[in-house]
Amino acid sequence: MPLISKSICSRCNTYIGSSSDAVQIGGLRFCATCGPLIKDWDYPQWLKVSLVALLLLLVVDLAHGRKYFHAGREMYVGERLVATGHYADALPHLQETIRIAPASDKAVLLAVKAAVLSGDVPSAAKALQGHNDGYFEDANKPEFQEVNSLWKRATAALEKAEQAGKLAEQDGKEIEAARLMHEAASAYPEMPALALAAESADAGVAFARKDYDTFLIISEKQWKRQVMSQTAGVLSSALACKYAVTGEASYKQRSEEMLQKARQLAEGNAEAAKDLEEYAERIRYRLDTRQIISKTEYDRKFRSKKTASK
Amino acid sequence: MFFIPGPVIAALTFPGVIVHEAGHLFFCRLFKLQVFDVCFFRFGNPAGYVIHQQTEDFKAQFFVSMGPFFANTLLCIVFCTAAFLPVWELKVFDPLAYFFYWLGLSIGMHAFPSTTDLSHLWAQAPELAKKGNLLAIVSLPLAALLVVLNYARVVWADLGYGIAVGVLGPIVIFRALAR
Repeated sequence: MPLISKSICSRCNTYIGSSSDAVQIGGLRFCATCGPLIKDWDYPQWLKVSLVALLLLLVVDLAHGRKYFHAGREMYVGERLVATGHYADALPHLQETIRIAPASDKAVLLAVKAAVLSGDVPSAAKALQGHNDGYFEDANKPEFQEVNSLWKRATAALEKAEQAGKLAEQDGKEIEAARLMHEAASAYPEMPALALAAESADAGVAFARKDYDTFLIISEKQWKRQVMSQTAGVLSSALACKYAVTGEASYKQRSEEMLQKARQLAEGNAEAAKDLEEYAERIRYRLDTRQIISKTEYDRKFRSKKTASK
Repeated sequence: MFFIPGPVIAALTFPGVIVHEAGHLFFCRLFKLQVFDVCFFRFGNPAGYVIHQQTEDFKAQFFVSMGPFFANTLLCIVFCTAAFLPVWELKVFDPLAYFFYWLGLSIGMHAFPSTTDLSHLWAQAPELAKKGNLLAIVSLPLAALLVVLNYARVVWADLGYGIAVGVLGPIVIFRALAR
Protein backbone atom coordinates (compact mmCIF):
# COMPACT_ATOMS: atom_id res chain seq x y z
CA MET A 1 0.00 0.00 0.00
CA PRO A 2 2.26 2.88 -1.15
CA LEU A 3 1.00 6.17 0.18
CA ILE A 4 3.20 8.85 -1.19
CA SER A 5 1.27 12.02 -0.44
CA LYS A 6 2.79 13.65 2.61
CA SER A 7 -0.39 15.69 3.20
CA ILE A 8 -2.47 12.70 4.22
CA CYS A 9 -1.93 10.14 6.95
CA SER A 10 -0.15 7.10 5.54
CA ARG A 11 -2.39 4.83 7.57
CA CYS A 12 -5.92 6.26 7.67
CA ASN A 13 -5.72 8.81 4.79
CA THR A 14 -6.90 11.69 7.03
CA TYR A 15 -5.78 15.08 5.71
CA ILE A 16 -2.97 16.32 7.94
CA GLY A 17 -1.48 19.08 5.76
CA SER A 18 1.19 20.82 7.81
CA SER A 19 -0.41 19.96 11.17
CA SER A 20 2.06 20.11 14.03
CA ASP A 21 0.47 17.00 15.61
CA ALA A 22 1.51 14.89 12.64
CA VAL A 23 4.21 12.29 13.30
CA GLN A 24 7.04 11.61 10.87
CA ILE A 25 8.34 8.00 10.90
CA GLY A 26 10.97 7.16 8.37
CA GLY A 27 9.81 8.73 5.13
CA LEU A 28 6.13 8.57 6.06
CA ARG A 29 3.76 10.97 7.84
CA PHE A 30 0.89 9.95 10.10
CA CYS A 31 -1.89 11.73 11.96
CA ALA A 32 -1.71 12.08 15.76
CA THR A 33 -4.00 9.05 16.27
CA CYS A 34 -2.17 6.66 13.96
CA GLY A 35 1.37 7.78 14.82
CA PRO A 36 1.69 5.97 18.18
CA LEU A 37 0.11 2.83 16.69
CA ILE A 38 2.71 2.76 13.96
CA LYS A 39 5.50 3.17 16.45
CA ASP A 40 4.33 0.53 18.90
CA TRP A 41 2.85 -2.20 16.74
CA ASP A 42 4.01 -4.91 19.07
CA TYR A 43 2.88 -8.53 19.30
CA PRO A 44 -0.33 -8.62 21.35
CA GLN A 45 -0.11 -10.03 24.84
CA TRP A 46 -2.51 -12.90 24.07
CA LEU A 47 -0.27 -13.96 21.17
CA LYS A 48 2.81 -14.07 23.38
CA VAL A 49 0.95 -15.96 26.11
CA SER A 50 -0.50 -18.42 23.55
CA LEU A 51 2.94 -19.02 22.07
CA VAL A 52 4.48 -19.71 25.47
CA ALA A 53 1.58 -21.99 26.45
CA LEU A 54 1.86 -23.85 23.17
CA LEU A 55 5.60 -24.36 23.54
CA LEU A 56 5.09 -25.64 27.09
CA LEU A 57 2.42 -28.02 25.84
CA LEU A 58 4.79 -29.18 23.11
CA VAL A 59 7.51 -29.89 25.67
CA VAL A 60 5.00 -31.83 27.79
CA ASP A 61 3.84 -33.73 24.72
CA LEU A 62 7.37 -34.56 23.65
CA ALA A 63 8.17 -35.84 27.16
CA HIS A 64 4.89 -37.78 27.30
CA GLY A 65 5.48 -39.12 23.79
CA ARG A 66 8.97 -40.48 24.46
CA LYS A 67 7.62 -44.01 24.52
CA TYR A 68 6.05 -43.42 21.09
CA PHE A 69 9.34 -42.16 19.70
CA HIS A 70 11.01 -45.27 21.08
CA ALA A 71 8.30 -47.51 19.59
CA GLY A 72 8.48 -45.67 16.26
CA ARG A 73 12.24 -45.90 16.09
CA GLU A 74 12.11 -49.63 16.81
CA MET A 75 9.49 -50.04 14.07
CA TYR A 76 11.55 -48.21 11.45
CA VAL A 77 14.67 -50.19 12.40
CA GLY A 78 12.62 -53.38 12.14
CA GLU A 79 11.12 -52.29 8.83
CA ARG A 80 14.57 -51.65 7.38
CA LEU A 81 15.82 -55.04 8.57
CA VAL A 82 12.76 -56.76 7.07
CA ALA A 83 13.36 -54.93 3.78
CA THR A 84 16.94 -56.25 3.70
CA GLY A 85 15.86 -59.80 4.55
CA HIS A 86 17.20 -59.85 8.15
CA TYR A 87 13.94 -61.24 9.54
CA ALA A 88 15.23 -62.80 12.78
CA ASP A 89 17.11 -59.58 13.64
CA ALA A 90 14.03 -57.48 12.88
CA LEU A 91 11.66 -59.44 15.12
CA PRO A 92 12.82 -58.17 18.58
CA HIS A 93 12.58 -54.55 17.36
CA LEU A 94 9.06 -55.06 16.05
CA GLN A 95 8.01 -56.93 19.18
CA GLU A 96 9.13 -53.93 21.21
CA THR A 97 6.91 -51.68 19.05
CA ILE A 98 3.95 -54.00 19.50
CA ARG A 99 4.45 -54.00 23.27
CA ILE A 100 3.73 -50.25 23.26
CA ALA A 101 1.30 -50.12 20.33
CA PRO A 102 -0.44 -53.49 19.86
CA ALA A 103 -3.10 -51.91 17.62
CA SER A 104 -0.62 -50.70 15.00
CA ASP A 105 -1.46 -52.50 11.74
CA LYS A 106 1.90 -51.68 10.24
CA ALA A 107 3.98 -52.90 13.21
CA VAL A 108 1.96 -56.08 13.62
CA LEU A 109 2.06 -56.94 9.91
CA LEU A 110 5.81 -56.37 9.84
CA ALA A 111 6.27 -58.46 13.00
CA VAL A 112 4.18 -61.33 11.62
CA LYS A 113 6.12 -61.21 8.36
CA ALA A 114 9.47 -61.19 10.21
CA ALA A 115 8.36 -64.02 12.51
CA VAL A 116 6.95 -66.23 9.74
CA LEU A 117 9.96 -65.70 7.49
CA SER A 118 12.35 -66.55 10.32
CA GLY A 119 10.43 -69.72 11.12
CA ASP A 120 9.01 -68.41 14.41
CA VAL A 121 5.31 -69.16 14.04
CA PRO A 122 4.46 -68.87 17.80
CA SER A 123 5.70 -65.25 17.82
CA ALA A 124 3.65 -64.51 14.70
CA ALA A 125 0.55 -66.03 16.31
CA LYS A 126 1.10 -63.99 19.49
CA ALA A 127 1.40 -60.75 17.51
CA LEU A 128 -1.78 -61.53 15.60
CA GLN A 129 -3.79 -62.45 18.69
CA GLY A 130 -2.76 -59.21 20.41
CA HIS A 131 -4.05 -57.18 17.45
CA ASN A 132 -7.85 -57.29 17.73
CA ASP A 133 -7.62 -61.09 17.45
CA GLY A 134 -6.12 -60.79 14.00
CA TYR A 135 -8.57 -58.21 12.62
CA PHE A 136 -7.07 -55.54 10.34
CA GLU A 137 -8.57 -52.27 9.09
CA ASP A 138 -7.95 -52.80 5.39
CA ALA A 139 -7.83 -56.34 4.05
CA ASN A 140 -7.10 -55.06 0.53
CA LYS A 141 -3.79 -53.54 1.49
CA PRO A 142 -0.89 -55.30 -0.31
CA GLU A 143 0.99 -55.55 3.01
CA PHE A 144 -1.95 -57.41 4.55
CA GLN A 145 -2.36 -59.65 1.51
CA GLU A 146 1.32 -60.57 1.57
CA VAL A 147 1.33 -61.41 5.29
CA ASN A 148 -1.98 -63.26 4.99
CA SER A 149 -0.56 -65.49 2.26
CA LEU A 150 2.65 -66.09 4.26
CA TRP A 151 0.60 -66.96 7.35
CA LYS A 152 -1.62 -69.37 5.42
CA ARG A 153 1.42 -71.06 3.88
CA ALA A 154 3.11 -71.48 7.28
CA THR A 155 0.02 -72.75 9.11
CA ALA A 156 -0.84 -75.17 6.29
CA ALA A 157 2.70 -76.56 6.47
CA LEU A 158 2.48 -76.92 10.24
CA GLU A 159 -0.86 -78.71 9.99
CA LYS A 160 0.72 -81.13 7.52
CA ALA A 161 3.68 -81.63 9.85
CA GLU A 162 1.33 -82.34 12.75
CA GLN A 163 -0.52 -84.89 10.64
CA ALA A 164 2.83 -86.46 9.68
CA GLY A 165 3.81 -86.61 13.35
CA LYS A 166 0.64 -88.54 14.21
CA LEU A 167 1.19 -90.97 11.31
CA ALA A 168 4.81 -91.55 12.35
CA GLU A 169 3.60 -92.92 15.66
CA GLN A 170 1.66 -95.68 13.86
CA ASP A 171 3.40 -98.83 12.59
CA GLY A 172 3.41 -99.15 8.81
CA LYS A 173 2.64 -95.46 8.21
CA GLU A 174 6.27 -94.32 8.15
CA ILE A 175 6.44 -93.75 4.39
CA GLU A 176 3.28 -91.66 4.31
CA ALA A 177 4.50 -89.72 7.35
CA ALA A 178 7.84 -88.99 5.64
CA ARG A 179 6.09 -87.86 2.45
CA LEU A 180 3.87 -85.44 4.36
CA MET A 181 6.77 -84.13 6.42
CA HIS A 182 8.81 -83.49 3.25
CA GLU A 183 5.84 -81.65 1.75
CA ALA A 184 5.59 -79.52 4.90
CA ALA A 185 9.33 -78.81 4.86
CA SER A 186 9.34 -77.73 1.23
CA ALA A 187 6.19 -75.61 1.69
CA TYR A 188 7.79 -73.78 4.60
CA PRO A 189 11.58 -73.88 4.11
CA GLU A 190 12.03 -70.89 6.44
CA MET A 191 11.46 -73.23 9.40
CA PRO A 192 14.60 -75.43 9.70
CA ALA A 193 12.88 -77.64 12.30
CA LEU A 194 10.61 -78.99 9.55
CA ALA A 195 13.59 -80.04 7.40
CA LEU A 196 15.05 -81.75 10.45
CA ALA A 197 11.72 -83.45 11.12
CA ALA A 198 11.59 -84.60 7.49
CA GLU A 199 15.03 -86.12 7.90
CA SER A 200 13.87 -87.81 11.10
CA ALA A 201 10.91 -89.18 9.19
CA ASP A 202 13.37 -90.59 6.63
CA ALA A 203 15.19 -92.20 9.52
CA GLY A 204 11.86 -93.67 10.61
CA VAL A 205 11.36 -95.11 7.12
CA ALA A 206 14.87 -96.61 7.16
CA PHE A 207 14.14 -98.18 10.56
CA ALA A 208 10.85 -99.63 9.32
CA ARG A 209 12.64 -101.08 6.28
CA LYS A 210 15.32 -102.51 8.55
CA ASP A 211 17.89 -100.42 6.62
CA TYR A 212 19.98 -99.67 9.71
CA ASP A 213 22.95 -98.33 7.73
CA THR A 214 20.80 -95.52 6.33
CA PHE A 215 19.25 -95.02 9.76
CA LEU A 216 22.78 -94.59 11.20
CA ILE A 217 23.92 -92.23 8.43
CA ILE A 218 20.91 -89.95 8.88
CA SER A 219 21.13 -89.91 12.66
CA GLU A 220 24.88 -89.19 12.60
CA LYS A 221 24.26 -86.31 10.18
CA GLN A 222 21.56 -84.89 12.43
CA TRP A 223 23.73 -85.20 15.53
CA LYS A 224 26.58 -83.34 13.81
CA ARG A 225 24.23 -80.60 12.69
CA GLN A 226 22.35 -80.17 15.94
CA VAL A 227 23.77 -81.21 19.30
CA MET A 228 20.71 -81.87 21.45
CA SER A 229 19.22 -84.58 23.61
CA GLN A 230 16.85 -85.75 20.87
CA THR A 231 19.53 -86.17 18.15
CA ALA A 232 21.83 -87.93 20.65
CA GLY A 233 19.00 -90.32 21.52
CA VAL A 234 18.23 -91.11 17.86
CA LEU A 235 21.93 -91.78 17.17
CA SER A 236 22.06 -94.04 20.23
CA SER A 237 19.00 -95.87 18.85
CA ALA A 238 20.64 -96.35 15.41
CA LEU A 239 23.87 -97.63 17.00
CA ALA A 240 21.83 -100.04 19.13
CA CYS A 241 20.20 -101.37 15.95
CA LYS A 242 23.61 -101.90 14.36
CA TYR A 243 24.75 -103.75 17.53
CA ALA A 244 21.63 -105.89 17.47
CA VAL A 245 22.26 -107.03 13.88
CA THR A 246 26.08 -107.27 13.93
CA GLY A 247 26.88 -108.04 17.58
CA GLU A 248 29.91 -105.70 17.38
CA ALA A 249 30.72 -104.42 20.86
CA SER A 250 31.93 -101.04 19.53
CA TYR A 251 28.36 -100.21 18.43
CA LYS A 252 27.06 -101.12 21.90
CA GLN A 253 29.70 -98.95 23.56
CA ARG A 254 29.00 -95.97 21.32
CA SER A 255 25.26 -96.40 21.76
CA GLU A 256 25.65 -96.29 25.56
CA GLU A 257 27.88 -93.23 25.29
CA MET A 258 25.32 -91.42 23.17
CA LEU A 259 22.56 -92.35 25.59
CA GLN A 260 24.62 -90.85 28.39
CA LYS A 261 25.13 -87.70 26.33
CA ALA A 262 21.39 -87.51 25.66
CA ARG A 263 20.77 -87.66 29.43
CA GLN A 264 23.28 -84.85 30.06
CA LEU A 265 21.75 -82.68 27.35
CA ALA A 266 18.23 -83.25 28.66
CA GLU A 267 19.12 -81.96 32.14
CA GLY A 268 17.00 -78.97 33.01
CA ASN A 269 14.59 -79.62 30.15
CA ALA A 270 11.58 -81.49 31.54
CA GLU A 271 10.05 -82.24 28.13
CA ALA A 272 13.30 -83.58 26.65
CA ALA A 273 13.91 -85.65 29.81
CA LYS A 274 10.43 -87.19 29.57
CA ASP A 275 10.93 -88.10 25.87
CA LEU A 276 14.35 -89.54 26.63
CA GLU A 277 13.02 -91.79 29.39
CA GLU A 278 10.49 -93.20 26.95
CA TYR A 279 12.96 -94.29 24.27
CA ALA A 280 15.95 -94.92 26.59
CA GLU A 281 14.03 -97.89 27.97
CA ARG A 282 13.60 -99.33 24.48
CA ILE A 283 17.26 -98.73 23.53
CA ARG A 284 18.30 -100.47 26.75
CA TYR A 285 16.09 -103.44 25.84
CA ARG A 286 17.64 -103.53 22.34
CA LEU A 287 21.18 -103.52 23.74
CA ASP A 288 20.37 -106.19 26.34
CA THR A 289 18.47 -108.59 24.09
CA ARG A 290 19.75 -107.70 20.57
CA GLN A 291 16.13 -107.70 19.49
CA ILE A 292 14.72 -104.82 17.44
CA ILE A 293 11.03 -104.23 17.98
CA SER A 294 8.84 -101.22 17.16
CA LYS A 295 7.49 -98.88 19.81
CA THR A 296 3.96 -100.28 19.39
CA GLU A 297 5.21 -103.79 19.92
CA TYR A 298 7.30 -102.76 22.91
CA ASP A 299 4.35 -100.90 24.44
CA ARG A 300 2.12 -103.93 23.90
CA LYS A 301 4.68 -106.32 25.42
CA PHE A 302 5.84 -104.33 28.44
CA ARG A 303 4.03 -101.08 29.03
CA SER A 304 0.44 -102.32 28.85
CA LYS A 305 1.34 -104.92 31.53
CA LYS A 306 2.82 -102.20 33.71
CA THR A 307 -0.34 -100.15 33.40
CA ALA A 308 -2.50 -103.18 34.09
CA SER A 309 -0.52 -104.13 37.19
CA LYS A 310 -0.99 -100.66 38.72
CA MET B 1 -15.31 -32.19 -4.46
CA PHE B 2 -17.41 -30.52 -1.80
CA PHE B 3 -17.68 -26.85 -0.96
CA ILE B 4 -17.13 -25.49 2.52
CA PRO B 5 -17.34 -21.71 2.93
CA GLY B 6 -13.95 -20.01 3.47
CA PRO B 7 -14.86 -18.49 6.87
CA VAL B 8 -15.79 -21.94 8.17
CA ILE B 9 -12.46 -23.37 7.05
CA ALA B 10 -10.64 -20.37 8.52
CA ALA B 11 -12.51 -20.81 11.82
CA LEU B 12 -11.66 -24.51 11.96
CA THR B 13 -8.01 -23.80 11.24
CA PHE B 14 -7.68 -20.39 12.93
CA PRO B 15 -4.25 -21.10 14.51
CA GLY B 16 -2.79 -21.25 11.00
CA VAL B 17 -4.20 -17.83 10.12
CA ILE B 18 -2.78 -16.32 13.32
CA VAL B 19 0.66 -17.89 12.78
CA HIS B 20 0.69 -16.70 9.15
CA GLU B 21 -0.06 -13.09 10.09
CA ALA B 22 2.33 -13.23 13.04
CA GLY B 23 4.98 -14.32 10.53
CA HIS B 24 4.31 -11.29 8.34
CA LEU B 25 4.49 -9.04 11.39
CA PHE B 26 7.71 -10.67 12.59
CA PHE B 27 9.48 -10.09 9.27
CA CYS B 28 8.11 -6.53 8.96
CA ARG B 29 9.62 -5.77 12.36
CA LEU B 30 12.84 -7.59 11.50
CA PHE B 31 13.31 -5.50 8.36
CA LYS B 32 12.02 -2.35 10.08
CA LEU B 33 9.05 -1.83 7.77
CA GLN B 34 6.25 0.34 9.12
CA VAL B 35 3.12 -1.63 9.92
CA PHE B 36 -0.14 0.20 9.34
CA ASP B 37 -2.64 -2.37 10.46
CA VAL B 38 -2.76 -5.95 11.67
CA CYS B 39 -5.64 -8.36 11.91
CA PHE B 40 -4.70 -11.79 13.24
CA PHE B 41 -8.09 -13.33 12.65
CA ARG B 42 -11.57 -12.34 11.55
CA PHE B 43 -14.59 -13.94 9.93
CA GLY B 44 -14.11 -12.46 6.47
CA ASN B 45 -11.98 -12.51 3.40
CA PRO B 46 -9.09 -12.40 3.98
CA ALA B 47 -9.26 -14.05 7.37
CA GLY B 48 -6.22 -12.06 8.50
CA TYR B 49 -3.88 -9.41 7.14
CA VAL B 50 -0.89 -7.19 7.84
CA ILE B 51 -0.79 -3.88 6.00
CA HIS B 52 2.73 -2.58 5.88
CA GLN B 53 5.00 -0.11 4.20
CA GLN B 54 6.17 -0.97 0.71
CA THR B 55 9.87 -1.44 0.25
CA GLU B 56 12.35 -1.40 -2.58
CA ASP B 57 14.60 -3.82 -0.68
CA PHE B 58 13.96 -7.17 -2.39
CA LYS B 59 15.38 -9.16 0.50
CA ALA B 60 12.91 -7.54 2.89
CA GLN B 61 10.09 -8.02 0.39
CA PHE B 62 11.03 -11.68 -0.09
CA PHE B 63 11.04 -12.48 3.60
CA VAL B 64 7.92 -10.50 4.42
CA SER B 65 6.05 -12.27 1.59
CA MET B 66 7.55 -15.74 1.89
CA GLY B 67 8.50 -15.79 5.58
CA PRO B 68 5.10 -17.10 6.71
CA PHE B 69 5.32 -19.87 4.08
CA PHE B 70 8.58 -21.15 5.58
CA ALA B 71 7.53 -20.51 9.19
CA ASN B 72 4.15 -22.24 8.80
CA THR B 73 5.77 -25.17 6.99
CA LEU B 74 8.38 -25.55 9.72
CA LEU B 75 5.85 -25.31 12.55
CA CYS B 76 3.57 -27.78 10.76
CA ILE B 77 6.44 -30.27 10.65
CA VAL B 78 7.31 -29.66 14.33
CA PHE B 79 3.77 -30.12 15.66
CA CYS B 80 2.92 -32.99 13.33
CA THR B 81 6.18 -34.73 14.19
CA ALA B 82 5.21 -34.65 17.85
CA ALA B 83 1.91 -36.32 16.98
CA PHE B 84 2.71 -38.38 13.88
CA LEU B 85 3.70 -41.67 15.51
CA PRO B 86 0.70 -42.19 17.82
CA VAL B 87 -1.80 -40.90 15.23
CA TRP B 88 -0.57 -42.43 11.97
CA GLU B 89 1.81 -45.26 12.63
CA LEU B 90 1.05 -46.67 16.06
CA LYS B 91 -2.72 -46.12 16.15
CA VAL B 92 -2.64 -45.17 19.80
CA PHE B 93 -5.52 -43.07 21.07
CA ASP B 94 -3.85 -40.03 22.61
CA PRO B 95 -6.00 -36.84 22.71
CA LEU B 96 -2.95 -34.59 23.06
CA ALA B 97 -1.46 -36.12 19.93
CA TYR B 98 -4.69 -35.48 17.99
CA PHE B 99 -4.72 -31.89 19.26
CA PHE B 100 -1.17 -31.38 17.98
CA TYR B 101 -1.99 -32.97 14.67
CA TRP B 102 -4.94 -30.60 14.21
CA LEU B 103 -2.70 -27.69 15.20
CA GLY B 104 0.07 -28.78 12.84
CA LEU B 105 -2.29 -29.31 9.90
CA SER B 106 -4.05 -25.99 10.57
CA ILE B 107 -0.72 -24.20 10.46
CA GLY B 108 0.46 -26.10 7.39
CA MET B 109 -2.79 -25.37 5.58
CA HIS B 110 -2.21 -21.63 5.88
CA ALA B 111 1.39 -21.70 4.69
CA PHE B 112 0.69 -20.41 1.17
CA PRO B 113 1.38 -16.70 0.73
CA SER B 114 -1.60 -14.74 -0.61
CA THR B 115 -1.68 -13.68 -4.26
CA THR B 116 -1.13 -10.11 -3.02
CA ASP B 117 2.08 -11.21 -1.25
CA LEU B 118 3.22 -13.03 -4.36
CA SER B 119 2.34 -10.16 -6.70
CA HIS B 120 4.76 -7.89 -4.79
CA LEU B 121 7.51 -10.41 -5.30
CA TRP B 122 6.55 -11.07 -8.88
CA ALA B 123 6.78 -7.36 -9.67
CA GLN B 124 10.42 -7.09 -8.60
CA ALA B 125 11.87 -10.55 -9.11
CA PRO B 126 12.30 -10.79 -12.94
CA GLU B 127 14.29 -7.56 -13.21
CA LEU B 128 16.55 -8.50 -10.30
CA ALA B 129 16.93 -12.07 -11.53
CA LYS B 130 18.31 -10.73 -14.80
CA LYS B 131 20.91 -8.88 -12.75
CA GLY B 132 21.90 -12.14 -11.07
CA ASN B 133 20.21 -11.61 -7.70
CA LEU B 134 20.22 -15.12 -6.26
CA LEU B 135 17.20 -14.60 -4.05
CA ALA B 136 15.23 -13.28 -7.02
CA ILE B 137 16.30 -16.28 -9.13
CA VAL B 138 15.15 -18.67 -6.40
CA SER B 139 11.93 -16.77 -5.77
CA LEU B 140 10.76 -16.89 -9.41
CA PRO B 141 9.96 -20.62 -9.73
CA LEU B 142 8.84 -20.74 -6.10
CA ALA B 143 6.45 -17.85 -6.55
CA ALA B 144 5.17 -19.33 -9.82
CA LEU B 145 4.47 -22.64 -8.12
CA LEU B 146 2.79 -20.95 -5.21
CA VAL B 147 0.59 -18.88 -7.51
CA VAL B 148 -0.63 -22.10 -9.12
CA LEU B 149 -1.16 -23.75 -5.73
CA ASN B 150 -2.98 -20.67 -4.52
CA TYR B 151 -5.49 -20.98 -7.34
CA ALA B 152 -5.70 -24.72 -6.64
CA ARG B 153 -7.05 -23.92 -3.17
CA VAL B 154 -10.51 -24.46 -4.65
CA VAL B 155 -9.56 -28.14 -4.93
CA TRP B 156 -8.10 -28.22 -1.42
CA ALA B 157 -4.45 -27.76 -2.43
CA ASP B 158 -3.81 -25.98 0.87
CA LEU B 159 -5.15 -28.93 2.87
CA GLY B 160 -3.20 -31.29 0.60
CA TYR B 161 -0.04 -29.32 1.27
CA GLY B 162 -0.65 -29.41 5.03
CA ILE B 163 -1.20 -33.16 4.99
CA ALA B 164 1.78 -33.77 2.70
CA VAL B 165 4.09 -31.74 4.94
CA GLY B 166 2.54 -33.13 8.14
CA VAL B 167 2.96 -36.73 7.01
CA LEU B 168 6.03 -36.73 4.77
CA GLY B 169 8.03 -34.42 7.05
CA PRO B 170 7.83 -36.70 10.09
CA ILE B 171 8.39 -39.81 7.93
CA VAL B 172 11.63 -38.32 6.57
CA ILE B 173 12.72 -37.27 10.07
CA PHE B 174 11.98 -40.61 11.73
CA ARG B 175 13.52 -42.68 8.95
CA ALA B 176 16.66 -40.57 9.15
CA LEU B 177 16.75 -41.00 12.94
CA ALA B 178 16.26 -44.77 12.66
CA ARG B 179 19.45 -45.18 10.62
